[in-house]
Order: sequence, then structure tokens, then C-alpha cells
Amino acid sequence: MYRSVADWTRDRLLVTGTWTTLQRGAVLVLALLMAVAPLPAPAQQPGAGDEQLRRELDAVKEQLRRVEEQMRQQQELIRKLSGERPTAPPPAVGAPPTPPPGAAPAAPTTVDAEELKRIILQEIQPQLSAASKTFPSQFNPAIGFIVDTVFSSTRKEKSNFEFRSGEVGISANIDPFARAYGILNGTPDGVEVEEAAIVTTSLPWNLTVKGGRFFAEFGRLSTFHDHDLPFVNRPLVLDTYVGGESQADGVEVNWLVPIPHYLSVTLGAYNKVGAENDRADNAVRRDPDEFTYLGRVATSFSFSDEHTLDVGISDAFTPLIKFEGRNSRNLAGLDLTYRYAPLASASYRGLVWGNEFLVNREARESESSPGTFRYRNAFGMYSYLEARLTRRYYPGFLFEYVQDIDRPSLSTKAFSPYFTIWISEFQRLRLQYTHTEASNRSPDDAFFLQWTAIIGSHVHSFRDR
Amino acid sequence: MRRRLLVLIAIAALLPASAGAAKKVQVVTTIPDLADMTRQVGGDLVEVTSIATGVEDIHAVPMKPKFAVVLNRADVVVLMGLEAEHAFLPALIEASRNPKIRRDAPGYIDASVYVAVLEVPGRLDRSLGDQHPMGNPHINLDPVRGKSMVRAIADGLSRNFPEHTSTFQKNAAAYSKELDAAIGRWTQEAAPLRGKKLVSYHPDLIYFTERFGMENFGTIEIRPGVDPTPAHVADLIERMRQAKVEFVVRERHYPAGLAETIAKATGATLVELPAMVGGVPEAKTYIAFIDYNLRTLVKATRGN
Repeated sequence: MYRSVADWTRDRLLVTGTWTTLQRGAVLVLALLMAVAPLPAPAQQPGAGDEQLRRELDAVKEQLRRVEEQMRQQQELIRKLSGERPTAPPPAVGAPPTPPPGAAPAAPTTVDAEELKRIILQEIQPQLSAASKTFPSQFNPAIGFIVDTVFSSTRKEKSNFEFRSGEVGISANIDPFARAYGILNGTPDGVEVEEAAIVTTSLPWNLTVKGGRFFAEFGRLSTFHDHDLPFVNRPLVLDTYVGGESQADGVEVNWLVPIPHYLSVTLGAYNKVGAENDRADNAVRRDPDEFTYLGRVATSFSFSDEHTLDVGISDAFTPLIKFEGRNSRNLAGLDLTYRYAPLASASYRGLVWGNEFLVNREARESESSPGTFRYRNAFGMYSYLEARLTRRYYPGFLFEYVQDIDRPSLSTKAFSPYFTIWISEFQRLRLQYTHTEASNRSPDDAFFLQWTAIIGSHVHSFRDR
Repeated sequence: MRRRLLVLIAIAALLPASAGAAKKVQVVTTIPDLADMTRQVGGDLVEVTSIATGVEDIHAVPMKPKFAVVLNRADVVVLMGLEAEHAFLPALIEASRNPKIRRDAPGYIDASVYVAVLEVPGRLDRSLGDQHPMGNPHINLDPVRGKSMVRAIADGLSRNFPEHTSTFQKNAAAYSKELDAAIGRWTQEAAPLRGKKLVSYHPDLIYFTERFGMENFGTIEIRPGVDPTPAHVADLIERMRQAKVEFVVRERHYPAGLAETIAKATGATLVELPAMVGGVPEAKTYIAFIDYNLRTLVKATRGN
């Protein structure tokens, strides 16, 4: 066993042949010393100089003797090391070695690679740590960049290459109590801060608090960024009822209920929910009854190791919206996600059946009696089934039905078979065909080819699982 | 007065029961190998739950909400480390809201800390595949490194529960001795494998082959984590024929078809191996797992 890095270094020098060179150098230096040493220093007495020289020579001789002894021990070590190579392993690799009878306990006569590594790390760790501290960039957050681009061709609106987004994501711990992340999204319309949030990490009672701009916990796919969706476009019901991504400026508290079953409760308050939600203006100041308040309960049931059903109920309530009358708005949602993931082949086999059902209730102006407002419910849903055939190929089918949020008597249906090809974990191609039927428009057909890639840091988040 | 007396009697009656039912240390491990090692080290002091059952691909363990609950109640988490569990553990730990097991907290026990790691990349570049910046993480397939993992677990448990240090260290020493005996036996049994070449689906056998004197010739994946292209498969078959590669190993969590095709095309023997304890019914413990892998390969050699 090596007692120190010095022992190990000598060993490595011997192995590489560098020791011989050093030894020659040492002898040369010694000879020079001997040649120079007889010249007495001006202030020294001749007798005293001879005595000192003799003492130095004796010391050098003793040092050489020690070096020879250490060399002998290191050669023994090399012999043992080479004996441990795979081509000729000893009977018990890694077994505790038995010291030879009569050997000094401290002599480095045994080798344990793991022990050696531990000693080396112990010795060099302070230097490594110190080196890290000299580079302020070591504290830079993790950075990732996502490119999302789509070619689309529709019967009614011709074709287009659409650069959808170049998205920079950054994240890091702030301190022992919180972390922060940001998503900056560059699109043909400009650069937008899509998310910029602080999330606590050390609150007691299973609580986390999130503040800033983030995707509010409404439903499931509203909290996904466009490029993370399982298909090319966000479902119509989420686009029209939520307003696309559930982007919100506000604060949210989440509680993992301390029971043996998974149960998560979220409460939030925001200016509004939905990046494209035109029912409220994000920029103006407002009274408390003009904020949107959210509640969500989510749970999960595992029927076996392979079958799981995630269930969530969400409700976003705005007591007062200043939009075509002063009334309240309530958006309720139910999300059901069934997953089949055969454990032994989960990376290349599986099935996801995702569903969301939303009901929007708000007062709308009567078509027959202008100026009269009454509450109306509008209903919308999507359901998709996606199979995992190999690590690369994910075919799927999406069905959508949505009533017009302003005129629920009008509705739209869409059918979208799609096929995703994962070239690698970080690059994806997707083909999608969508047939749309609307009660007040002629049918339309569209074809999409999406190409998405990520570079830099990436995470597998619990939310996007 | 009488009521007080009754209360005191009730408390006295309850005391021995609560003292006898000392709470066990709740340990969650990522894979069953670590669960077996932790049970060996912790003995009766620990109650261990493994997230993976052993049949999974460690890079693709499904992230189920119930694991967040299990981790929420954990005193410590034991992981293989080297980012092997990157696809599921960091997100589950965050979802668990358990500060005791966050990365760098005392309850975060990384079993790789004493292991000499192979294939540490000199350059990090995604064109080289799904790299692990700290090196190849499949250390559990080498029983000598397994010993180092046991030591890390014993030290990790001792760090968190110093009152039980002597028990943990004594148990770890006894288990290491058991492993030493097995390692001696395996080294002898592996004699027919020395110098034999194998191709595996993923580069997860490098520690095993290094330990038992075999040679990793290549992988079916074009790069770690990246499925092969037809050109890569054709080239691999050609090179395997020239080099007379003896084995195609399909880790049981990878698809069978391509491994079978390559074995048939090259004349190599197809061998199916688990990558973790629990990967096959015979591999119930860590020692049984190494036993199974080694004997399956030796048996295949004799078959040749």
C-alpha cells in the first residue's frame, strides 16, 4: 500500500524511466557540489569548512542509501503492480494482501488501487478546489440552446419555412435556499423573456414557492414549451382557452402532501394566465379581484410496475375581467395521462395516452340581444395516443375538438397523424398531417415538417416527464 | 390524583413499546445492486427501497410520481454516481422536497467516490455521443469496484448516523471479505475468457472485461446512447469477422433483433446479460449477479 503521493510518484518515475535520468542528474549535481565545496567561503575557517564538508558528504551518502532502499521497495511494488494486470491476474484480485512474515508494518509492500486513488485525491483535492476558485466562470449557470424550425404547407395558406424559435435556457442555484432559471426566446417577432423565475429549495413542510414569470401549473401540456410538445402545434383548446403556454407573472405555492400516496396541491395568484390570453392586459396595475387565482390537485396511480395513470384537476378563476363587460371568468380542466412503460424495454417500447378536457365559463354578450350578458360554457378537449416503437420512431395520432370560446355553438375538429424520428436524444424530426373541420369554415389540410435540436446543458424535468 | 396516576401508568406502559420500536434508517437506492450492498452494510438498522427493479436501462428508468413520495421519506439516498442516474434522479430529488438528500447534502451517498473510473472523456462533445463527463458509470459490473462501492456506502451511512459507525464498518468489512472470497473464485473461473473479444450493445461492460481479462472490441451503438446506422453495422460486422470476435453481448434491456443479426452474420455467440441485480431471476444478490454474468459467458465459451 502506498503511504503517500511521494511514494507513488517515485514509482511512476521508475515505471516511465524518468528516475534514471533524475538519478544521473542527482549524481552530476553531487559531483559539482563536491567540486565547488572545497573552495572556502571568505569568512570561514579552513578547519571548520572541512568538518562541515565531511558532515554534508555523510548526509548525502545517507540520503543515497535511503534512495537505494526506496528504489528497491518501489521495484518490488512495480513487480506486484504488473502482476495485477488482466493478462495475468493473481488468484484474488482486490483481495486484502497478506504481508510477508517479518515485514515492517509500514513498508509499502502491498497495492490497493482504490486506496491509492483515495490517497491521491486526498492530496490533490485542495489544489483542485483552489484552482476552481480562481475561475469565476465556474459559477456560471448551466446554459442550453434550442432551435425549433418548421416547414408548413396548407391548402388555404400556401407554404412557408417558419423559424419558430431560438431559445436560451439558463439555470443555477442562487444559494442554499433557492434556485433560478430563465428562458429567453428569440422568434421572428423579437426576443421575449418566456420564463424568469425563482424557486425555493429548502422550505419546510414539503413546500416550494415560485415567483416571477413562469408557466402556471394549469393542466399538463400548457406547461410545456412549444418544442417539447409531443406534436408540432399546441392543441387548439389550449391555444384558445388558456392562451397558448400558461405563461403567468405571479407567485405559486406547491405542497407535496405528506401521505404515502403521491398528491400535489398548487395554489397561485397571477396577473393573468396564458401568453396569448387577450382577456386581460399583463402590463396594467389591477385590483385584487382582477388577478387570476389558480388551484390544482394532481395525483398518480400505478396499477403495476408498467401501467400508470396521472390525474390532475385545475381551476383558474378571475373574479373580474374588464373585457366586454365586467364579469368573472372560470377555466376548469381535467387532465388524464395513461402511460405504459415496460420496464425492461422502456427506452424503446411504450405508449402514452394523453387527454385534457377544459370548460371555460364567462359572461358573453347575447347575439340576439346586444348589450345583454349571460354566462356561457365552452368546452374543448384533445386526446392523443403515441407509441414508442424503437428508440427512434414514435408514431402518434391527435384528435381535437373545441367549441369557439366566444360562440360555443361553433366548433372545430382536427385529426393529426404524426411521426417523430429521434435522430439522437438531442435532435428530432417530426412529420405531421392535420385535417381540420370547422362548422363555419370549409375543411383544411396541412402538412408540417419540424426539425428541433438542443445544444449545451439539458435536464430531464419532472414536469415534462 | 387518580386520573394523573392513570396517565402516568399509561405513559409507562407505552414507553417500552416506543423504545423497542426504534425507527429504522430509511434508505432509497437507485438500483438493486446498491440495495443489496446497503442491506449487507446496514443490517437490521436499515430499511431499503430500490427505485429500479434491475430489468431497466439505468439511463431510462421511468420517472414515476410514487418515487418522489418514497424519496420524500428517505433519510439517505444511495446512487451509483458518475451521472448514471441523470435521466431520473435529479428531477425526482427535486420533486421529493427532501433537503436531506439533495446533491452535496450528507444524505446524498455517491457510491462511486472511491472508484477508479475508466473512459473519462478528454473532450466533451455531443458528436461523441451521450457522454458522461466524469467517465463511464457502469462500475457495478466489476466486483472489485463493487468493494469500493460498499466502502462508500459504509462511510456514507456512518457520516449520517455516527452512532452506528462501528456496526456499519464491521458489516462492510465482513461483506468485503465475502466479496474477496468470491473474487478469488471468479478470477479462476474466468480463465477461459482471457483474451476473448466481445461486442456489446452499449459500452457498459468495460469494467467487467477489464477485470476478467477480456477485450471490448466495439459496440452496436454508433456512439454511447446513439442508435446505429446501417453503415456502422456493416462496418462492425466486417471488422468483427476479420478480428474473429467471439461474443455479441446483448444487455437484456436493449432490443434483441440487431444483436441477433450481427451474431449470425459474424458467427459470434450471442450472449444475453443483465446489467444490474434483478435483471434475471437468478441474480437476486450482487454476488449472484456477478456469478450469473461470468458463468453465462464461460458456458458460452465452452459451447464454442
